[in-house]
Amino acid sequence: MEARLDRIPRGETLRYLRYRGGELGGESLAELDRCETLLLQTARPRLVWRLFSLEADGTLAGTDYRPAGEDIRAFLSDCDSVVLLAATLGAEAEALIRRAAGRDMAEAVILDAAGSAAVERVCDIFCGDLAETLAPRFLTDRFSPGYGDMPLSDQRALFRVLDVSRRIGVTLSESALMIPQKSVTALIGVSDRPQPKRAGGCESCGMREDCAWRKEGKSCGSN
Amino acid sequence: MDPTEIILLDGGMGTMLQAAGLPLGELPEVWNVMQPQTVSTIQRRYAEAGSKVLYTNTFGANRCKAAGCGYDVEELVTAGVRCARRAAEGFDGVRVALDIGPTGRLTEPLGDLSFEEAYDIFREIVTAGAAAGADLIVIETMSDLGEMRAAVLAAKENCDLPVWATMTFEASGRSFLGVTVGAMALTLTGLGVDALGFNCSLGPKELLPLVEELRRWTDLPLILKPNAGLPDPATGEYRITPAEFAAELAKAPEKGASILGGCCGTTPVFIRAAAKALSGVRPAARRDTVRGGVCGSTGAVELNGVRVIGERINPTGKKRFQQALREGDIDYIVARGVEQQDAGADILDVNVGLPGLDEPELMRRAVKALQGAVDLPLQIDSSDPRAIEAGLRAYNGKAVVNSVNGKKEVLDAILPLCKKYGSAVVGLCMDENGIPQDWRGRVAIAKRILDAALSYGIRKEDVLIDCLTLTVSAQQGQAAETLRALRAVKEELGLRTVLGVSNISFGLPARENITVSFLTQALYAGLDLPIVNPNQSAVMDAIAAFRVLSGEDKDSEDYIRRFANVTAEAAPAVKDGAELSLGEAILRGLTAETAALTEKALGKMDELTAVDRLLIPALDRVGERYEKGEIFLPQLMKAAGAASAGFEVIKTRIANRGGATVSKGKIILATVRGDIHDIGKNIVRVVLENYGYTVIDLGHDVPPQTVVETAVRENVKLIGLSALMTTTVTSMAETITALRKSGHDCKIMVGGAVLTEDYAAEIGADYYAKDAKQGADIAKKVLG
Repeated sequence: MEARLDRIPRGETLRYLRYRGGELGGESLAELDRCETLLLQTARPRLVWRLFSLEADGTLAGTDYRPAGEDIRAFLSDCDSVVLLAATLGAEAEALIRRAAGRDMAEAVILDAAGSAAVERVCDIFCGDLAETLAPRFLTDRFSPGYGDMPLSDQRALFRVLDVSRRIGVTLSESALMIPQKSVTALIGVSDRPQPKRAGGCESCGMREDCAWRKEGKSCGSN
Repeated sequence: MDPTEIILLDGGMGTMLQAAGLPLGELPEVWNVMQPQTVSTIQRRYAEAGSKVLYTNTFGANRCKAAGCGYDVEELVTAGVRCARRAAEGFDGVRVALDIGPTGRLTEPLGDLSFEEAYDIFREIVTAGAAAGADLIVIETMSDLGEMRAAVLAAKENCDLPVWATMTFEASGRSFLGVTVGAMALTLTGLGVDALGFNCSLGPKELLPLVEELRRWTDLPLILKPNAGLPDPATGEYRITPAEFAAELAKAPEKGASILGGCCGTTPVFIRAAAKALSGVRPAARRDTVRGGVCGSTGAVELNGVRVIGERINPTGKKRFQQALREGDIDYIVARGVEQQDAGADILDVNVGLPGLDEPELMRRAVKALQGAVDLPLQIDSSDPRAIEAGLRAYNGKAVVNSVNGKKEVLDAILPLCKKYGSAVVGLCMDENGIPQDWRGRVAIAKRILDAALSYGIRKEDVLIDCLTLTVSAQQGQAAETLRALRAVKEELGLRTVLGVSNISFGLPARENITVSFLTQALYAGLDLPIVNPNQSAVMDAIAAFRVLSGEDKDSEDYIRRFANVTAEAAPAVKDGAELSLGEAILRGLTAETAALTEKALGKMDELTAVDRLLIPALDRVGERYEKGEIFLPQLMKAAGAASAGFEVIKTRIANRGGATVSKGKIILATVRGDIHDIGKNIVRVVLENYGYTVIDLGHDVPPQTVVETAVRENVKLIGLSALMTTTVTSMAETITALRKSGHDCKIMVGGAVLTEDYAAEIGADYYAKDAKQGADIAKKVLG
């Protein structure tokens, strides 16, 4: 399954830009078009994934990695296997966004939002492919380090197990943040039973108390 | 190294260790200490299979990856070398290579690893490995040229062993970081490695075309150490058989690679098969003409035609530029770089020399900042060897040094730096006796510079000669001498030429006529690298036309593209009939119109009045509309961009008059330590600058101490801190505590996705700014 990016969902980009329904003139639309095109031309999406069976204590078989926290255990309670995924838009897209900030902040904020929408799109396409490949088995949503009570430091273990830096060129900063920033890591459970939609909901989110979207009565999983 | 011999390397180590029971995710280097026998046995099997170079099991033995494993770097490296040495015992001519892999972190500007820290990480490994008895250093699997440079310099400065360097590339012909084969070859050849090539990445079949590309850029021995094809994503297993691998690898010698082995997924069986397939094979003789060029951190500029060097990063005669340098306003310099890149420059000259300033430090900062914003190669322009070295050390890629001249002490001071850092160099045709008036005298100096460069081991193709332009209104006969000298340097010495062109027309009216005409004649005489102002379209038009006439621009493609949009370009948007107001221009984000209208307003009022009565009220209206949700973030930023064009007009006017900067006060902005998310802080900066505040932007990942020191030193009364992650709010709290503890009197505002009013109060901030508009409101309250 190759990383693919066919389009950048406009609605998602606008959501990241906190668009609240004001006037969206021709100039803004043209700017959005232009930025999306630029990003699609520049991004070199890549991903690496691997399927592991789960041992009784939650360790991924053949590795020394046991995902941390209660939330992930609950999340995978129905699953006998898990897919580890890391995906990125690549360093060129990162440089494009960074460099825009020194030239035109309007472009920079759009590219930044569109970049977030784009990497999610890469993951969505992958999950669609994965569901087909693993059918008739069922997949959970994506659960990432930093969700719920899973610490960001799980990122390091996940990076070692998937050999992420060598395989797709994503690195970790000293504080375990991914660079390029437009990158995603996730655990996806595999089960014999249909899985409810969970990771996108506010219940499992560590930011639920402080979330700006929630304060406005929305969620980051809805438009 | 015998270039007519094939050297067979070893195969994968990780694969073998996993087969021997190493769990995925555990640091393999720990086994150098825990299970040295297992490591040695694997290496011995490679020696038995025919490997002449055994890599130590130290790929991840650096302080980033080994943190928390229970052993320090020296222990892991020493034990690693010992394992390989033991494995090599009894095998004739088998050498031990200290294997150095990436840190797993990314270097600046995209990442948070500084050159100095990267250098120190690699220095530690090199020192331990050389002391333990390695025969050579192999740096491999790099995809970041900046990290590779740090490793090569650390190796060359801390031991005398040969250095081999290989990088990871994708089938697209670039590394993950976007580094091209040309940029890699120019940089590493310049740094003086002993061999270079590719490892890991892909299978041998996919990498062979890259080997063919590489040989066009370097005459050094080439290394190829590919994977066993591509891994199955679901299982992580590699797919091709030893026989297939060997058959493909055996094609490498005819493509030019002579140092061959295997990487991930390959085993002693693969190496044995390769040894058999390669027995009796000799590398094909390489008779390629190697391409000359320079490069930035990813892309190369081949010097095989007219290449434009942009001259605008230079304070000479520019008051606004001088002011920016004195204020340490690196962003202003970066903006000049971006502007010239957009205008079509191929290389940027960087001169930051101004009496009374710390030129080496300014050069270092300017080089780093420019490389974060543009990918063009830079020309480090200074007469101070310390500034040149500071620039070269910070520079990622292969730079040009501007300049040396015929004076012996200058040659002896600067040429060794060019050699060490692998840069090209510009030689000016002058010496202690000045500029020869006769063209022959200039050619003689050029020859002397060439000989000196060659004696320092600099390659001929890296010597660029500037025959010097004299002002035609003062010395009319000299224009012809310059052109004559230029032609002779090009034809008789076979060197590429550089020439600062604009100087020719100084003191004459309608300068552009003279400049363009001289430029055209110089190009015809053989000028390769005109140093010009690329923002002058007549100059760039002349170069575009010359490229057509000389045949360099095949089928006039570039020329046609350059002029294709000229008629289609829309006229500046103005409201039908009625004239646009400055406020509307800002609201609609019209940059050029805002600048023009500001210029016009300054005919009727002074600068401060224009700021207070026109620019700020316009921004307030934009801010209100943003708060109400009538416009959204990109529109707010567009308006801010337009307003800053207005401010730039005002700043330039004041600088030209020699007046003090208009500033409503200083504000520090920083994304706190551990956080790399810059965008929110940058948005706030743009808005605050627009309101007339001087923003000291400390960037991202800023330690608390830096914030405190800057606040105290610059006596800043308002500090803005940004953090995006829950985890980094902790370092925001630390920064606030450190500020309070210092006793410095200031207000602190904080912002970021995870913050709230309550949370901000809890960590001791004075204000919480939910967005940039609120940030500006707080600034008004605190600073007025």
